[in-house]
Amino acid sequence: MKGRRALLLDPRVRFATLVGPGALFIVLFLLIPLLSIVVFSFWRTESYELISDWNVNNYEAVLGEWIYLKFLLKSLAMAAAVSAICLVYAWPCAYLIAKHGGRYKLVLVLLTAAPFLTGILLRITAMQQILGPIGLVNMALMELGAQPIQVLMYTNIASAVGLIYLWIPFMLLAIYLSLFNFNFELLEVAKVNGARPWRAFFEVTWPLNWMGTAIGIVLVFIPTFAASVTPRFLGGPDGSMFVNRLEHQFGSAGTWALGSAMGVVMCVASLAVIFVLWRTVRLRRAGFTGAGA
Amino acid sequence: MSDQAILRIEAVEKRFGAVRAVDGVSLEVGRREFFALLGPSGSGKTTLLRIVSGLEAPDRGRVEIGGTDVTRLPPYLRRIGMVFQDFLLFPHRTVAENITFPLKMQGRNAAEREEQLDWILGFVRMEGLGDRFPHQLSGGQKQRVALARGLVSRPELLLLDEPLANLDRELRKEMEIEVRRYQEELGIPFVYVTHNQEEALTMSDRMAVMHQGVLEQIGPKLEVYNAPATRFVASFVGAPNKLSGRVIEGEGERLRIDWGGITLIGRSVGDARQGDRAEIYLKSERIALSASADGIHHENRIEGTVRDIIFKGQFADYIVRADNEAELVVSGPPSIAGVDRGSRVNLGWAVEAADVFLAADDEP
Repeated sequence: MKGRRALLLDPRVRFATLVGPGALFIVLFLLIPLLSIVVFSFWRTESYELISDWNVNNYEAVLGEWIYLKFLLKSLAMAAAVSAICLVYAWPCAYLIAKHGGRYKLVLVLLTAAPFLTGILLRITAMQQILGPIGLVNMALMELGAQPIQVLMYTNIASAVGLIYLWIPFMLLAIYLSLFNFNFELLEVAKVNGARPWRAFFEVTWPLNWMGTAIGIVLVFIPTFAASVTPRFLGGPDGSMFVNRLEHQFGSAGTWALGSAMGVVMCVASLAVIFVLWRTVRLRRAGFTGAGA
Repeated sequence: MSDQAILRIEAVEKRFGAVRAVDGVSLEVGRREFFALLGPSGSGKTTLLRIVSGLEAPDRGRVEIGGTDVTRLPPYLRRIGMVFQDFLLFPHRTVAENITFPLKMQGRNAAEREEQLDWILGFVRMEGLGDRFPHQLSGGQKQRVALARGLVSRPELLLLDEPLANLDRELRKEMEIEVRRYQEELGIPFVYVTHNQEEALTMSDRMAVMHQGVLEQIGPKLEVYNAPATRFVASFVGAPNKLSGRVIEGEGERLRIDWGGITLIGRSVGDARQGDRAEIYLKSERIALSASADGIHHENRIEGTVRDIIFKGQFADYIVRADNEAELVVSGPPSIAGVDRGSRVNLGWAVEAADVFLAADDEP
C-alpha cells in the first residue's frame, strides 16, 4: 500500500499520467498522418497505387505548372481578400460592442456567432436563398423595378460573400476579446495630451489590440484558404479552389502523391502566413507585461 | 485676482441621471497657484476636473482657460496637462515615448522633443530610464513619468486627479514634496483633486472643499483649516472633537453653550440661537493640556481624567474624560510632566478654537 502511494506521488509518474493520453492521441492521429503525407509527397502514384520511388516531381508540378499554381495563387488571394473584408467589417462592430455594449456585451457577441448554431450546409443553403437567381437580393431588386444581378450566384464573388459570412464571427470574437481587456481610459489620456480621435486610435487603440487582430486574421485566413465546401456550393463552374483540386487528387484522379505534395504546400503556406503575422507582433510593444525585462 | 485667473469656472452644473454631481460651482485659479480641491469620494470633485479637461461636458455653466471660453472645446484643443490616479502610462511605449507624446501630438520635431525630454527627465530625476517600459518601473517612478508627461509641453494648466492615492505612505510623503517643487519651479498652475486633506494642506496655496456637488468653502488653506465656514468643512478638515450641547445665550459671534452640565463659550459660525441644539467642533491640537491649573490661560477651562495616552511618535493623543463623562481627544507632545494614565488634568481652549454650528437635525 505504501509503495503504491509513493509511486503515485512520484512527480515523474504524475507527469506521465497527466501528459501521456494527450500525447499519445497527438502522435497517433496528428503526427503520424502528417508525416505520412510528407513521405507520400516524395513518392509517385501509378494506377491508383503509391510507389516509394523518391522524387520531387510532385513539387515541380504544384509550383511549376500553371494549372496548379493558378489555383494556389487564387486561394491565397481569396483568403487575403476575405480576411481583409472581415477585418474592416468586424473592427467597428467589436469596438462598439466592447465600448458601448454595457450589460448586453455578452449577448451581442453571442448573437454574432448565432449562425454557428446551425450546420455549415444549412448556412450555405441560406446564402443560396439570399444570393440565388430568384433569391432575396434579386427579388428585392425586381420588386423595386431594377434589373436582377446575374453574376450574384455561382461565382467567385458569391464564394467570397459566403466565406465572409462564415468566418466573420471568428474575427469579431478575437478583436472583441482583445478590446475587452483594453483600458479605454488610455484614449482619454491621449486626447487630453492633444491627440485627435483618429490619431488616438492609431497611436493607442490599434497597436494595443494588434495582437488580438492578428489572431483574428489567422483564424479567418487559414480556414478560408482551406475552404472546400463553400466554393463548391456557391462558386459555380469557375469556383474551384486549390483545395478542390487537392481533393480531386485523392478522389477520382487517384494521384495521392501529387495530392500529398499539394497538402504539404498548403501547410507550409499557412505556416508562412502565421509566421509573418507573428513577426509583426512585438510582445513588449503589445503592452504585454509578461514578456520580462 | 480676476485678471490673473488662468482658470475660471462659472456656475457649472452636471447631472448623471438624478444625481447632481456638480451643482452650480464657480471658482477661479490664479497664475502660479497650487489649488487643491478636497472632498470625500462622490463629492463631484473628479467630475469637476473632467469638465475642466473637456473629457466631460457640463450641462450648464462656463469654463475659461487663459481667458478663452473652452466650454465646448474638445480636450485635445485645450492645451492642458493631466495626471491620473492609475498613472495610465501607455504600456506599449517606452518612458521616453510616453513623455514626449504630447510634443509629438503638437507636431514638434524630433530635435526639439529630444531636448525637452532630456530637460524633463532631469527635472523629475529619472535620468537614464528613458528606454524602460512602464511595467519595468516602480509605482513612484510611474507617477514621475506621468507627471513628466503632463508637464513636458509646459501647459497652461495641470490637472491632477488623486495622483498619489495609489502610492504607499512613505512614497506619498516624498512625492508630496516633489509635486510641490514641480509647481513652484515651473510656475504652472496646478489643480489638485484629492480626498486626502493632508495632501491638500501640505501642498496647496488655496483650497476648496467640495461636498455633494457644492463648494462648501474656498480660500487660503490656513483659513479653511482654522476657520471652517460650514459644519461639513468643520467636521471633515482636521480631526476635530465633536461636542453636542445646547445654546444658553449668545449675541453676535460669542455663544454660551451648555455641554452636558459644563458651560463653554464658542464662536458662532452657523445660525444657532438661544435654545437650539448645537454642535461644537474643536480641533484636538488646539486644546491645551496641563497637570496644573496654572498652565491654562484660556477662556474655556475644564477638568478631566486621562483615560489613555496613544503614542504616535512625534506627538501623542491624550484621551481625556471630562467630568460630564464625555471624552475629548487632545494632541500634545509625547510626554508632559506629571501627566499619565489616570492623572487629573486641566484642559483649556480659546473661544475661536470652538466652532459652533446648528446641530444637523435641527436645520431647517
